Amino acid sequence: MTDPSQVPPLPQSGRRSPGLLYGAQRVFAMSIGQMLWSRRTVFMGLVVGLPVLVALILRLLVEAGIPLMARGRTPVAGPMIFGFMMWGFFVRFSIPVLAIFYGTSLMADEVEDKTLTYLFTRPIPRGAVLLGKYLAYAACTISVVLPAVTLVWLLVVPIGASLGASFPDLLKDLTLLVLGLLVYGGVFALAGTLLKRPLIFGLLFVFGWEMLVMALPGYFKRLTVAYYLQGLVPHAIPGDSALDIMQALFHEVPSLTESLLGLGVIAIVSIAIAVRTVSRREYVLEQ
Amino acid sequence: MTGPVLAARDLSKWYGQVIGLNNVSVEVPPGITGLLGPNGAGKSTFMKLITGQLRPSKGSVQVLGEPIWGNPSLYFRIGFCPEQDAFYERMTGLEWVTALLRLNGHDERQARAAAHRALGMVDLLDVAGKRIGAYSKGMRQRVKLAQALAHDPELLILDEPLSGMDPIGRRRTIRMIRDWARQGRSVLVSSHILHEIESMTSNILLINNGRILAEGNVHQIRDLIDEHPHTVYIRAADPRRLAREFLAHLDVISLRFQPGAVVVETGTPDAFYARLTELVAAGECGAVEELTSPDDNLQAVFKYLVKN
Repeated sequence: MTDPSQVPPLPQSGRRSPGLLYGAQRVFAMSIGQMLWSRRTVFMGLVVGLPVLVALILRLLVEAGIPLMARGRTPVAGPMIFGFMMWGFFVRFSIPVLAIFYGTSLMADEVEDKTLTYLFTRPIPRGAVLLGKYLAYAACTISVVLPAVTLVWLLVVPIGASLGASFPDLLKDLTLLVLGLLVYGGVFALAGTLLKRPLIFGLLFVFGWEMLVMALPGYFKRLTVAYYLQGLVPHAIPGDSALDIMQALFHEVPSLTESLLGLGVIAIVSIAIAVRTVSRREYVLEQ
Repeated sequence: MTGPVLAARDLSKWYGQVIGLNNVSVEVPPGITGLLGPNGAGKSTFMKLITGQLRPSKGSVQVLGEPIWGNPSLYFRIGFCPEQDAFYERMTGLEWVTALLRLNGHDERQARAAAHRALGMVDLLDVAGKRIGAYSKGMRQRVKLAQALAHDPELLILDEPLSGMDPIGRRRTIRMIRDWARQGRSVLVSSHILHEIESMTSNILLINNGRILAEGNVHQIRDLIDEHPHTVYIRAADPRRLAREFLAHLDVISLRFQPGAVVVETGTPDAFYARLTELVAAGECGAVEELTSPDDNLQAVFKYLVKN
């Protein structure tokens, strides 16, 4: 081994803690690779790959000369199918599910792997660990979901319509998905720092609470993420189930401003509380 | 620094009804100090409190003159090598140490250079580009040590740093820790093996049942431990050949085989470790992959100590 006296000392770049944002940036750089190569990425591939597969099948059917008909035997145009897939597959399923599985595990993975010690004994605020990992989650999911949606758009929209005309809607859809990932991710990151079983909470929140209160009149729907996302959907929200009929009866869509404000408040408050919780919690007890 | 590197006052930590550490007041002087105690003695709780991973339930702890809990700036001056064998397995040793150094605020070039330096200090430069997942137990211990000392801290806190290392790695690491302290820096090292601590320092803290039992010179404890047989578990390529050598040359009380390993009970641990290191260095008995000592030895001594 090298004698420590023979090696030049490391230049010290100051003794002040680098701060929350710098720390988050470094944790982000460290975590992004880990996240992309984790087993969850396979799961994410399946979740976003399914709609791409469905889009491909639909396109092949059309190319084979089989027309796509609605119940009234009227032909269905590509943008309508895309709108249905966006709401049904991505907004109401893929985005919350990805946020649940990634968001709730931001700190849990480090605790389970017992690697949190290395991050918590470095001169960065503890909250930077959560913030950095949250940013890595966002980058990781956005980089997979957006190309998948674009692929679905390229496959489906040309069925009886032109790509050019629906391009502005695609941009709105992509923005909606990014916001959905950020906001749901923030909510479930908070759940991951506060609760013992955040995964169960996440599933109940999305597939229980949100579905229920969205179908009922009243103010409770303002306590969901889906309500605010609804205000950003550029298409008519499809659906013909009994639940959808009820939803249509009590349909309330927030304005664009209310939606953006609501989503912004939920995301910022959730992340701020999560950062504060991580700073105070003794995670080592759980290792 | 002339004052204590670590000062605990009435320090207690309890987990619900369980007391992890009980009213500990202690000052650790500069230099190397060994924290010795069997498993469950409170060593890990103490280590976690002094590295700011746990908040004291009662009392206070100051490291290098500052409170550690909620004080991230202090980690510029402290290097911590935890006990657990946990890593980002897909990263290479160099990537991992560099990434951790970047958390200290160093730019990529500085961090990479410092990581190289640290990996050189623990003899891992030749495997720096290899994934940590492919490292042997000894290499994993050493890369953990590298990340602790890479930022050139004033105080190195090492939790069971020699656990699982092969005899040569163990000897080199002990030498490196001693050289490190000779540069005017301090080291607090925990172990449940007196022999290990003794090879680094004579200044020890004895901990058991969440209390500091004694602090100071190691020799009295040494006499006690010599009365008890010392058990060593050796996982090796050819355990039978090693066993033959031990029986021929050493004061071996008992010897038993386990799959791929031999467990030896000796009355002369010093002579045993010295001979084992010689055998491994000479390559006479093949590679030794892992060397551990269960803490039964120390537990017996502590029982004796507490009784008397």
